[in-house]
Amino acid sequence: MELSLVIFTVLSQISIGLAVMLAVRQWAVSEGTAPSSFRFEWIVIGVALAIALAASLFHLGHPFGSPRAVLHLGSSWLSREIVVMQIFGILVVVALVALWKGSANSWTLVKITALVGLVGLAVSGMVYAPPSFPALNNGVPIIFYGLTAFILGSAFSSYFAGEDKQPLLTQILTISLIVGLVINLILPSIWLSGGRVMQMTGAAYFGSALFWLRLVVEFGLGLAVLGVFRKIPIWLPVLLLAGEIVGRIMFFTHVVHSAVNIGNLY
Amino acid sequence: MKKQIAFFVDTRRCIGCFTCAMACKNQYHQPSGVKWRDVHPMSEEIYPHRECAHLTLACNHCEKPTCLEVCPVVAYYKRDEDGVVVHEQEKCIGCGNCIRSCPYGAPKYNPALKKAEKCSFCWQRLDADREPACVQACPTRALQMVDLSNFDEPDTVQYIAGFPRFTKLNPSIRFRPPRQPLEIRRK
Repeated sequence: MELSLVIFTVLSQISIGLAVMLAVRQWAVSEGTAPSSFRFEWIVIGVALAIALAASLFHLGHPFGSPRAVLHLGSSWLSREIVVMQIFGILVVVALVALWKGSANSWTLVKITALVGLVGLAVSGMVYAPPSFPALNNGVPIIFYGLTAFILGSAFSSYFAGEDKQPLLTQILTISLIVGLVINLILPSIWLSGGRVMQMTGAAYFGSALFWLRLVVEFGLGLAVLGVFRKIPIWLPVLLLAGEIVGRIMFFTHVVHSAVNIGNLY
Repeated sequence: MKKQIAFFVDTRRCIGCFTCAMACKNQYHQPSGVKWRDVHPMSEEIYPHRECAHLTLACNHCEKPTCLEVCPVVAYYKRDEDGVVVHEQEKCIGCGNCIRSCPYGAPKYNPALKKAEKCSFCWQRLDADREPACVQACPTRALQMVDLSNFDEPDTVQYIAGFPRFTKLNPSIRFRPPRQPLEIRRK
């Protein structure tokens, strides 16, 4: 079931999402030094990324060979993903040191880290878009990963942001959930009109109780709560995290491989 | 065109005996459940007759192999002398990227070694001027080894019905499609 990849992708996207939300929240701030209250949030970003990277090692048959996994930058998106994530991790540490010391360039570092994180999302998405999965051999993984980062990033960012920034985060979360709901409804429909393997993927999604449960609980309930309360309750991010984990499990288990259909019409 | 060794599958001769798959297993002793070569019956929507037609498939040693492109530790290389795509298992870290990425499902995960592995066209036998184990074992000569640089058999195709079409990879395999049986009915 690729549980280690589920943990790696979701946690790394939470880390990236939190970094992006922190940068977005304070983009208008003109002073060069970030407030010290951001230090704890940045530590959480680092810890989430560290756990994600550790989880990714459990996916390997031989984890001690992982340092060699950067040898094929010329054509392997996996090598590129590892490099970008390492750069993101280094920037997280450097930015944390700058935040801790109250350095004048701490904001610049935060913004650069967030930008590198967005690049990491795109590179990570390309790793999971091979030709063997016709439903994913396009920009869909990047869209899924971006949605996870924005949904969970804005949701968990509410734990750290001041009251003045809560409406902004609520707005970002609401828009992300609406976009996520629309995309999760449209994509399987598009798959159903594709070739045989794509149709099998679309049918697997629409025929899955987990799919509908996730739509109702994560997107439906999430949007309803935001509409009623106009802010992010403390329990909502946990619910959204559960929904994203279910979505990621489906990403790794419900998408059909082209080799499954050999011997039948494509 | 450079020399490119390929499998030629004559579905008119194939009787679905699985001898090719067993020969590969006998040569390399893969663990239970790991098959480098498999025989796939063509479904009734392609071949709607009482007798079945079969596709025997292993690795297609593509011109632009996805496995080679996606491997992060450069554990794959394509031989210049014959175009065989070889997997160097000692370099493999078992990330599974090649297994996930190959549209033909050629690389397989070996749970005992925790590494990927696949058909290597028996390159050691090729270097000793011998045929691959599967080709040698085929009792009907349905599975043959050919050189695509001078392959000119009539009635052959690269993408047969039931075989995924990925032109970017350019798989090195050719098929002779099955002949529809002649049915004579009295009215």
